[in-house]
Amino acid sequence: MARPILHNSCARATTAAESRFRIDVPIAPCRAARVIGLDDDSVQVVADAAHEPWRTARFYACDDTAEAADLPDPDDLRLRDLDRGGMRLGDELEGVDVTVMVASNDDGAAAASHIGLACSLRGITTAGLVLGSGSSVAGALASLRPYARVLLVPAEPDDLVHLLTALRA
Amino acid sequence: MLRPEINELLTETGPGTPMGELFRHYWLPALLAEELPEDDGAPVRVKILSERLIAFRDTSGRYGLMDEFCAHRGVSLWFARNEENGLRCPYHGWKYDVTGQCLEVPSEPEASNFCANVKLKSYPLVKVGDILWTYLGDPESQPPLPEYEFVHVPESQTYTSKRWQESNWLQALEGGIDSSHVSFLHSGQLNTDPLFKGSRGNDYNKGDLKPYFEVTDTPGGLFIGARRNAEEGHYYWRITPWVMPSFTMVPPRADHPVHGHIWVPIDDENCWVYTFDYHPVRPLSDDERSAMRAGHGVHSENIPGTYRPMANKDNDYLMDREAQKRNEHYSGVKGIAIQDASLQESMGPIVDRTKERLVATDTGIIKARQKLRKAVIALTDDGVVPPGVDPEHHRVRSVSVVLPHDVAFMEATAEDASVRPGVAQTTV
Repeated sequence: MARPILHNSCARATTAAESRFRIDVPIAPCRAARVIGLDDDSVQVVADAAHEPWRTARFYACDDTAEAADLPDPDDLRLRDLDRGGMRLGDELEGVDVTVMVASNDDGAAAASHIGLACSLRGITTAGLVLGSGSSVAGALASLRPYARVLLVPAEPDDLVHLLTALRA
Repeated sequence: MLRPEINELLTETGPGTPMGELFRHYWLPALLAEELPEDDGAPVRVKILSERLIAFRDTSGRYGLMDEFCAHRGVSLWFARNEENGLRCPYHGWKYDVTGQCLEVPSEPEASNFCANVKLKSYPLVKVGDILWTYLGDPESQPPLPEYEFVHVPESQTYTSKRWQESNWLQALEGGIDSSHVSFLHSGQLNTDPLFKGSRGNDYNKGDLKPYFEVTDTPGGLFIGARRNAEEGHYYWRITPWVMPSFTMVPPRADHPVHGHIWVPIDDENCWVYTFDYHPVRPLSDDERSAMRAGHGVHSENIPGTYRPMANKDNDYLMDREAQKRNEHYSGVKGIAIQDASLQESMGPIVDRTKERLVATDTGIIKARQKLRKAVIALTDDGVVPPGVDPEHHRVRSVSVVLPHDVAFMEATAEDASVRPGVAQTTV
């Protein structure tokens, strides 16, 4: 036997007047975001974004891109915190829930693979913003694609700020 | 998360609002051609971008769309008599042609030219495909007519329906570019709906609930690629085009007709959802048309004589908890269109985006909002014509395809994602 429909309850629950009575408590920011520039141009974009008033986001440059390919352990990749100096990737991923990588060419392709793998092993969502298109970023894309849950191609420099804002970083 | 002022900017489309001005640069569906089926037939009330209008087809077969209210005393011309190439207000007999020009004011002397100075605001109304399109903007900036493929294939190959959705247009559109909900909300229908079943893609959809996304900027909007695991070494890609401001297509399944939507603001708390199905190279079968009329696929079963769905918020969308438990309908609501509508309307008339908690996989939605906002600012500050106005931007297709792991979807499917007359859709 069909159950009776609670007539009209949805209609009552979705009026503008009703919405004033919804629970209104502060929404927690995302736990921690890490933003990593993989080459010189993208580091500049990351540095510009770092000037905004973020809650939990930290911003890094990956300077050792040439050596990255030979690293046996991705956690040992060296990052440079734009405020605090040199860091080890593995140490910076503790308690993180999203990592955003920014690339403008293929220089950081090997580093992207390491970061993607390190995040993947920890269950950290990874996003990639690629500032360019075509063959100049093909390597970066190929490295990001297996790990990045979302890729934005081609991204504009201000996409980073909009993405982090939307994520409450 | 959006700041309140950005949410208002994107959701308010009435006259004089920035987003309203943006919408007034496009040809928009005003009504289905079936709503004005004959010369001198009944006029139809149309509300679009918060403007109340009246549409009619005169004795000579010309379409008209103009201010709903008589210039004399403000009577709704829905009550008018449609006769001898004009609408005549039944109150005092004032008569208007399809351009809104007043032709007769019976109370004035026969030689009077009073009526020559009375003209209702009017807009063009043009039939392209099954839709009557209007342009509410500056006549000087009127663009060429729409060139979406579904309105240009032969009539036998296309079908369009519409339904009233009781929510702001933007939250409805955002559902259209959010591919990840399909594996959940619509999972019950993928293997049973007559317009969906039989596709290998359905198995990929149901077998991988955590798709990866690639969002690609295009001149007219975005392509959003959703990637799921397929056979060893391969990915199943579903590629959704969005053409600004509110056109999307759903990636195809097997040889079923291809479908999509256009969301048109009625006002800030309601929108029309125009839903189409077409096949690029063959007529729709009788069974397919019957299924569409019955509300299968992405269409809705409407209350006869109206465009309001049978399942709507006044009857809790005919929620069936037993069907939910059986996984016949994942949410308990029957039909893909109403599954979407029920959840989007449940957010409230205009969802408060200051309270949302987005995740990285919502990047398609984030980017779409950003493109809309930028287009509004460029239009307002510098008069830049927004993306999607150029008919070249309309010539897109959705795609579903299986590709090797190392192949970039946009490069591999550039041709498939464009309209190719006489060539079937690329589908799995």
